[in-house]
Amino acid sequence: MGVGTRILTVEDDERIRTAVRLALEDEGWQVEEADNGEDALNTFTAAPTDVVLIDIMLPGIDGFEVCRSIRRTSDVPIVMVTARADTHDVVAGLEAGADDYLTKPFAPKELSARIRALLRRARSADPAATHLQFGDLEVVPDEGVVRKAGEEVHLTKTEFRLLVELASSPGRVFSREVLLERVWGYGYFGDGRLVDVHIRRLRTKVESDPANPRHVVTVRGLGYKLQT
Amino acid sequence: MTATFALGALLFTALFAVATLGITRQVLLTQREDSALQVAFTNAGRVQRQLTPEAAVNEILANLSTTEGSRPLIRVGEDDVQSINVEDFGPDDIPDELLALVEDGRTGHMLVTIRGEPNLVIGIPLVGSVQAEYFEAVSLAETQNTLETLQVILFVGAGTIILLAGVLGWWASRRALAPLSEASEAAEAIAGGRLDTRIDAQADRDLASLAASFNEMAGALESRIERDARFASEVSHELRSPLMTLTASVEVLENNRDDLPERAQTALDLLADDLERFKQLVEDLLEISRFDAGAAQLALDEVLIVEFVGQAVGFLVPGNVPVDVEPVLAGAIVSIDKRRLMQVLSNLLDNAEKYGGGVSRVAILPGRDDHHLRIAVEDNGDGVPADERAVIFDRFSRGSAGGRRGADTGVGLGLSLVAEHVQLHGGEVWVEDGVAGGARFVIELPRESARALEHA
Repeated sequence: MGVGTRILTVEDDERIRTAVRLALEDEGWQVEEADNGEDALNTFTAAPTDVVLIDIMLPGIDGFEVCRSIRRTSDVPIVMVTARADTHDVVAGLEAGADDYLTKPFAPKELSARIRALLRRARSADPAATHLQFGDLEVVPDEGVVRKAGEEVHLTKTEFRLLVELASSPGRVFSREVLLERVWGYGYFGDGRLVDVHIRRLRTKVESDPANPRHVVTVRGLGYKLQT
Repeated sequence: MTATFALGALLFTALFAVATLGITRQVLLTQREDSALQVAFTNAGRVQRQLTPEAAVNEILANLSTTEGSRPLIRVGEDDVQSINVEDFGPDDIPDELLALVEDGRTGHMLVTIRGEPNLVIGIPLVGSVQAEYFEAVSLAETQNTLETLQVILFVGAGTIILLAGVLGWWASRRALAPLSEASEAAEAIAGGRLDTRIDAQADRDLASLAASFNEMAGALESRIERDARFASEVSHELRSPLMTLTASVEVLENNRDDLPERAQTALDLLADDLERFKQLVEDLLEISRFDAGAAQLALDEVLIVEFVGQAVGFLVPGNVPVDVEPVLAGAIVSIDKRRLMQVLSNLLDNAEKYGGGVSRVAILPGRDDHHLRIAVEDNGDGVPADERAVIFDRFSRGSAGGRRGADTGVGLGLSLVAEHVQLHGGEVWVEDGVAGGARFVIELPRESARALEHA
């Protein structure tokens, strides 16, 4: 990974854009740039990149909208750049479809680590488990396919990895910390909201009634588990 | 206020009652006296005309028209004293003074108590064919009764008025003072940081203007503090962009460090170190400005405190720092804002590393009662002097120990943020002497889970 992997950075501050590009190139990524939302969408539509980095504060079409637009057509990993971790921006960005977020000023090396984690392939704890069935929900890790009542469900890479992680031990309760570590590559101190918002997004796609989930259930105070 | 009202009423009514009683008594007595004297003179005149040496004194007496309660008595010389009823009024009942006066040829009257009743005894010398004296005792019992009744009425009335005045005073003072105590409560609330406190509109015109200007002041204060906090927040935000460029650029330089001359490498290291400190300062300022703006909110999570502290210490401090846990707390679950408590521990551990000669021990201990627990961070340093223990949590306070901290100037916001974060959790933080002589920073947190934030 690295060489040949293309990242689109959407940032209106030219100095930041340039400095981040230099640092990312040092890490071996190939960097495309856009200084506004419209440009970003055009660039991405013309030649989709492997990862998108979006600053929320953009003139014109804001980062959330860029994120939602890309999500309509692509499951590409998206990293949001926010001003602060404790604002609603984080949740809003994640709900708009971002896979992870960083707050300014971040170290480009940290960004690289985040991107690498997001690009990891979904792995199954049990290689023999190639076909997992949960009631009407069917997960095929190797093919990257999820079917609900026989119909394919489109998940982002992160949602898929989260589902496969839960599916690796059906019925077992996974704490937020474990999921943060296995899916995002964070340790104990990752932001639990990443898990919560992704679980919410996952439910809207795989549950018949997302408000009363049957498969992806919350175990209060402990975490989440997948059940039939 | 109530007491003043009651006291005022007491004085006024007492004065009023006493005056009324005095005047009434005077008037009634004078009236009674006048009429009694008139009757007595009329009777005396009649007795004088009828009294001859051969006349029967008894008959004269029986024919006298007397008003109720008046008893005539005729004294002819020392021995012949005739009264209608000696039991009611006899010669012994006439005071010596009056007797002497009348014997001397003058009229007189005196107030005398006869058989326990007040009487007006009138003495008139008779100058006719027979030398004699006419006496009449007029009972004042009725007048006395009237006066006593009046007295009772006046005192009961006065008591009632005093009581009513007290109640009225209590009610009026409550009514009058309610807006004032509301204002004082509001002022205290504002001083305590609840800047959006306002006073209700008042019906009274004077109070309305007081309330209006108070609210105006509170509004001005609030917007001013908000402006200051917003300014700090905006400055911090504005600093993020150049800091982002700097961070990325320094990283590029560090990536290519080996290509740089030695002097440039040294400069790069200085740059990188101070950039980290600068970033921390901006973060802290932003955090502080949120506290100042009252915008700091807890995002609570229930965590196994032993696991949390263990993970934090492992994450933040290189090497093996022991975390001692009181056995009863091994399974303790505490509701905390993980990000904030992480920052608290980070600051305390960092502080111990920088100024305390390293962390010697972290301990999870029982609190003052079952509802609290403590997390203590001990270091190997010289401790914190007693007179600095209170101010060490103030902003930009580094204490005298700061002078010994050499080139590392510290930032001075860390411990004040620790205090803010801990207080937001409803806890306390202080510093004391550690077991091994160093400083021991203790945070005490409430154990009750607020269950404020529900995940998913």
